Amino acid sequence: MPHWLVEPGLWSNAAVHTGVTVGVVVAVVSAWVGLFTVLRSQSFAGHALADVATAGGAGAGLFGWSPLAGFVSGAVLGAGAMEAIGVERVRQRDVATGVVLGAATGLSALFLYLVSLNSTNSGTTQLVLFGSLFLVSSTTLWIVLGVSVVLSLVLAVIGRPLLFASVSPDAARARGVAVSRVAVLFTLVMAVTVGLSAIVLGSVLSTALLIGPPASALRLGRGLAQTAFASVALGAAAAALGVVVSYDSFYWWPSHRALPVSFCVVALIILELALVNLWRWHGARREAA
Amino acid sequence: MILGKTGPRVALATTLVAGALVTGACGVPHVAAGEIAVVGAETQYADVLGQIGGRYVSVSAVVNNPATDPHNFEASTAVAREIAQAQLIVQNGDGYDAFMNQIEAATSKPSRDVLSVAVLEHETGAANPHLWYMPSTMETLARAVARRLETLAPRHATYFAGREAAFLSSWRRVEEALASTRARVKGLPVASTEPVGDYLFEAMGLVNATPWRFQADVMNGVDPSPEDIATQEGLVLGHRVRALIYNSQVGTSVTEGLRRLARDHDVATIPIAEIMSPREHVQTWFLDEIATITAGLLHVVTSGGS
Repeated sequence: MPHWLVEPGLWSNAAVHTGVTVGVVVAVVSAWVGLFTVLRSQSFAGHALADVATAGGAGAGLFGWSPLAGFVSGAVLGAGAMEAIGVERVRQRDVATGVVLGAATGLSALFLYLVSLNSTNSGTTQLVLFGSLFLVSSTTLWIVLGVSVVLSLVLAVIGRPLLFASVSPDAARARGVAVSRVAVLFTLVMAVTVGLSAIVLGSVLSTALLIGPPASALRLGRGLAQTAFASVALGAAAAALGVVVSYDSFYWWPSHRALPVSFCVVALIILELALVNLWRWHGARREAA
Repeated sequence: MILGKTGPRVALATTLVAGALVTGACGVPHVAAGEIAVVGAETQYADVLGQIGGRYVSVSAVVNNPATDPHNFEASTAVAREIAQAQLIVQNGDGYDAFMNQIEAATSKPSRDVLSVAVLEHETGAANPHLWYMPSTMETLARAVARRLETLAPRHATYFAGREAAFLSSWRRVEEALASTRARVKGLPVASTEPVGDYLFEAMGLVNATPWRFQADVMNGVDPSPEDIATQEGLVLGHRVRALIYNSQVGTSVTEGLRRLARDHDVATIPIAEIMSPREHVQTWFLDEIATITAGLLHVVTSGGS
């Protein structure tokens, strides 16, 4: 391996092992769930869930719970609130999402303020908003793996009817698909996924992992199976490379100031999107010529 | 990422301060006639103000809760009121308590005197803002406070000078303790979680093996790089340090992990405080901190075989 790609100690560093494992697993689940999110035009809801996860993470910091528990339970509660306010129609869905988003952000402000007043934990704001992938404990790692397996199973079961309901809800209803039940279940899956990716990127950036790779994959424009595969591959690559780049960046400057891992992952997701667009634009020009 | 220091953050908008001042004087701490209202940004400075000013000052401390992380301090409207009526303010400076400047600017009062410890100690650009742990700071501050109080209340000049002399003579005990401790612990390597105690370690002759980057990252509430964490763990695992000295008021999952690692590998863990408890005085606080560090270090020396 060339020295510029793999800096000393990369393979022996425990934080890197955990970071790559958690990053890749969460990226795979996020890319898969995100594909449905983009197809169903629920990107805004995904972002709002991330904001509710912020409130959950901040609350966890206040009460000394694990951040993962806070992110996931926050997002799930937020999903419940959105469903309760009413998301049957697309127009109402935006309003419900906006209301929950505002309320959650207010709560985050309160919780983070209370954390600063009542605890000695100075890293909470940073951890909640922008993530601390290198500080994930091995217990959290196993929980992330378990939850990811459950999410994948649920998605495997509801995937087909969900796709049907997303593309053509009326035809799906006529064919006996419980459209609204599937939709609620999917919102829940999305909430848990956002909670997981908040561990990798922090709650503010977690939508990047949910929306970025599927957006790139959809632009590649192949069949559904290939798009799903591309989405998962792009997400996993961004997460794994992001961890390596963040680790390596320690050696790039004499000051040894490493780039934050969440920045590296998001930068790679955006880079992928840019490259895919460039490739498509190039292809369109060749066709025209 | 830019290497730097963050002082306690203020989420307080200037408008909020102004609003609080407009809404009036309810709840303002009582200042008796003839008393000078003085404010110390941190408890340890407020204590010096109280010791020099004695019965002619009414002291309040802004950052005064040792159970929280002072770097996350958010100023309240009550603080704004205290600062608005103060005639003499002592603050750390060097970016540590930048919120004081903001509130002072929002409540400008031409007759007010503001003493910055960083300016007094010629350390306005110091990377490590925890200036009170420099042994010379409290003496310099005591002298400066006495001069200012004499100007504010010339009638009590003799009283203030007497209290200044008493403070300086009691501070000599701290210096003696430092000198005798230094003889016993000089050259011992220690690891630390934060720069809070660096000036004290230097005065005690300890060798701080922790990279500055790691200390600064913990202080600034950002994640240290995996490389620096590995370096810290190596210091503990290889028993290359006598003790891990941690900030008892600023903890993160990284510092908690290090403390656990040190305990599991029989490396002493020693707490050091950032903000003094309002019930203490700076002399005894310093003596206690020095004694705690020394005991932690020498305990390992005497039971080195275990």
